Amino acid sequence: MDAPFLEIRNVTKLFAKVVANRHVSFSIGSGEVVALLGENGAGKSTIMKILYGLYRADSGEILINGRKQKIDSPKDAMALGISMIQQHFSLVGVHSVAENIILGNVKGIIDRRGCERRIQDLAHTYGFDINPSALVRDLPVGAQQKVEILKALFQNAKLLIMDEPTAVLTPQEAASLMDFVRRYAAAGNSAIFITHKLREVMEVADRIIVMRDGDVVGDVPRAGTDEKRLSTMMIGRELPPLPEEPAVPPRAGEMLRLERVVVRDRHGVVRLKNLSFSILEGEILGIAGVSGNGQQELCEALCGSLSLASGRIVLNGQDLGNLGVRERIQLGIGYVPADRQKDGVVMEMTVAENMMLKSSFDPRWRKGIFLDRVRIAAYAKEKISAYSIRTPGPEAVVKGLSGGNQQKLIVAREMDNGSRLIIFDQPTRGLDLGAIDYVHKAILAQRLMGKCVLLVSTDLSEIFALCDRIAVIYQGVIQGIFLKAELTTERIGLLMAGYPDTPHVNDAFSE
Amino acid sequence: MKVNARFRDMLLWILIAVTLGLAASASLLLFLGKNPIAAYGLLAASVIRDRYTFADIFVKATPLMLTGLAFAFTYKANLYNIGAQGQFYIGAIVATAMSLFLGARLPGPLSLPIVFVATIAAGGLWGSFVGFAKARFKSNEFLISMMSTYVALAAMNYLLRTALIETKHEYPQTNPFTPGLWLPILVNGTRLHAGFILAVLIALLVWLLLFRTPLGYRIRAVGYNADAARLAGIDSGRISIATFFIAGTLAAAAGFTETNGVQHMLVQGFNPNIGAEGIGIAILANANPVGIIFASILIGALKVGGAIMGQRSGIPASIIDIMEGFVMVFVILSSFVRSGLETRRAKRILRSRTK
Repeated sequence: MDAPFLEIRNVTKLFAKVVANRHVSFSIGSGEVVALLGENGAGKSTIMKILYGLYRADSGEILINGRKQKIDSPKDAMALGISMIQQHFSLVGVHSVAENIILGNVKGIIDRRGCERRIQDLAHTYGFDINPSALVRDLPVGAQQKVEILKALFQNAKLLIMDEPTAVLTPQEAASLMDFVRRYAAAGNSAIFITHKLREVMEVADRIIVMRDGDVVGDVPRAGTDEKRLSTMMIGRELPPLPEEPAVPPRAGEMLRLERVVVRDRHGVVRLKNLSFSILEGEILGIAGVSGNGQQELCEALCGSLSLASGRIVLNGQDLGNLGVRERIQLGIGYVPADRQKDGVVMEMTVAENMMLKSSFDPRWRKGIFLDRVRIAAYAKEKISAYSIRTPGPEAVVKGLSGGNQQKLIVAREMDNGSRLIIFDQPTRGLDLGAIDYVHKAILAQRLMGKCVLLVSTDLSEIFALCDRIAVIYQGVIQGIFLKAELTTERIGLLMAGYPDTPHVNDAFSE
Repeated sequence: MKVNARFRDMLLWILIAVTLGLAASASLLLFLGKNPIAAYGLLAASVIRDRYTFADIFVKATPLMLTGLAFAFTYKANLYNIGAQGQFYIGAIVATAMSLFLGARLPGPLSLPIVFVATIAAGGLWGSFVGFAKARFKSNEFLISMMSTYVALAAMNYLLRTALIETKHEYPQTNPFTPGLWLPILVNGTRLHAGFILAVLIALLVWLLLFRTPLGYRIRAVGYNADAARLAGIDSGRISIATFFIAGTLAAAAGFTETNGVQHMLVQGFNPNIGAEGIGIAILANANPVGIIFASILIGALKVGGAIMGQRSGIPASIIDIMEGFVMVFVILSSFVRSGLETRRAKRILRSRTK
């Protein structure tokens, strides 16, 4: 049989306002690792969801081993050997690893011991170190992902689809994932990576399929291409490089200082332990770390929505004490939150309304007792053109904007609010390259204006590209603050994974 | 232009929905062995039979509009005010007490505004307690507001047995107000009073407040996305107190229009469903203050027509409650159908463009 394992022919999928996939065709052979590369909104997730039975295509067909198949639900997909690992894991935290893996895949009386043995064997085959009786909620993110993979293997998946699998991993964990993928493919299986990280693509994929605006714009073997050509295909034009390091302006002094800051969550668990650092005027400090290690708490403590258990925060010589969010906004603190749709915008409101969200108490938006709608619209229009936000106009509802344009809106707003300090939490997560470039330039521009910037990111290349100094955070503790030149990817990776920074770091691994 | 088309679509669909609601109720009439066409003919005829009946539609719509607004207002902040009935009773008590007290002391035109202001202030304070409990103790506003109705009811019953009881001490009701404290009649020979105009004005004011002032902006922001509002320095506790205060004033205003406009006295246990019906109307109008004006008139018409239909044809008046229910269900369904059709149309246009 010459037919490839999977073939997609002429699939078209329409949503109400956009064409998500336009006559998409490609195939994947057994033993092949394919990267599906494209910006956000290029349609890569959509085509995979069609393949996995979550969406139904408007036209086109799917062939498995040369035979036409109808996939109406994930159950159909799994029966055909297709498994998908979503970006957000679908695991039950209070259940054990084994229980999660067999969920929905066993009938009648459960042979618990037999299942656990099978899982253990599977884990062993691929070199996963996982205890089947451990509770999932106690596992780190990297291990949870392995549970998801084991779940797919348990169902005899022949094709594994992974949606942005490395977003939540440390560099070391990512490397081990890549290792797994190679072994999995070597055993005659196929894998599809959905990603927009070019480096990963070049590292693991045999073939690269590039999508743009719902079309397949490239289908090339890895050997025949390079990162630059791929990025051009992805965005349809070449990106101008980041501006050269601007001449650092004279630093008048310290803008922000944290002194032994301790934050507890609702349950009294310490989330930030004795955090101390300071940022100078015109300086960008990066906070590197795997997400969930206290970054969110740090940002919220700074913007005033989380109160300190002890310690203090001083901005421009003024102790912020117990000032609330509203007062801190007035003092010039801007905040670009990580979860923009949940924390940054009101999706149901218009662009203009969202522009005044943070300054709704400001009398400049008022005319008598009413809102000065003309002024608000003019302000929004000005920002729309200054930040080239793609929207029909100030009266368009934010829900209809793409993620990148929503983020531009938030960035535009916070640049104005944050006259002294701007906190960026994962400012480019999930954005396409064009928007990422835009946000990066905006961040660099703030430094010239003498503001201080705190940049929280899990994307190391972003941290290295933008920051003057880099602090590594692990479980609420700053592992150390470094100049960019002092760090290598390996060293920072170990720090992010919680290994203490000693000259003999490699020993920690060989144990 | 585009807005007009959408508005026309909406009107058309509401018309279809109301028709379907009536058709569904007609099938029930068939079960009862009645001729639905004759019954509806009677319904229509009786509503427009005479000036008095026709005007009564608006009399019935007046308190419904206000309690509908009382639910819709907190709903905009994603809070559920189930206590409009109690806020209505508090308004009625204060309006009555003030009217009886001022009636002999001040001329009517002077005292009516005082009664009105005192009524809504009392209702606002009563309502804001729910918001305060929510803000201070994170209690569930749904339960607190619902239970506060029983407290208000008990207080009204107690006062009607003691301080407010009529001079004869016979029935649990008050003396009638002096005619100077009656809301002026708008059309001679009907019960239609100035309270209707007041209610429409209030609905328009509520719209302005929600969509044209900073406070309304913040209320909607909290309602749509409490997390983003919190990070924007908007104190959701203050918003919940403010919205429940305003909701309280709205429901209490209904108490004022009923006692001073219709009953001219306070009687035990009157209008016991006005709060619940307000919720239905708010849902029917998708919590839009202007929509509530029309929704309450529609329900008012069903009520008036139904009552007469019941008297004259032997059809149980409860069929009208079912009819109201059907109409609401179909109107709500129609909004889903409408958005579904819009999506389909957009897809079709898109497809023809991609080919």
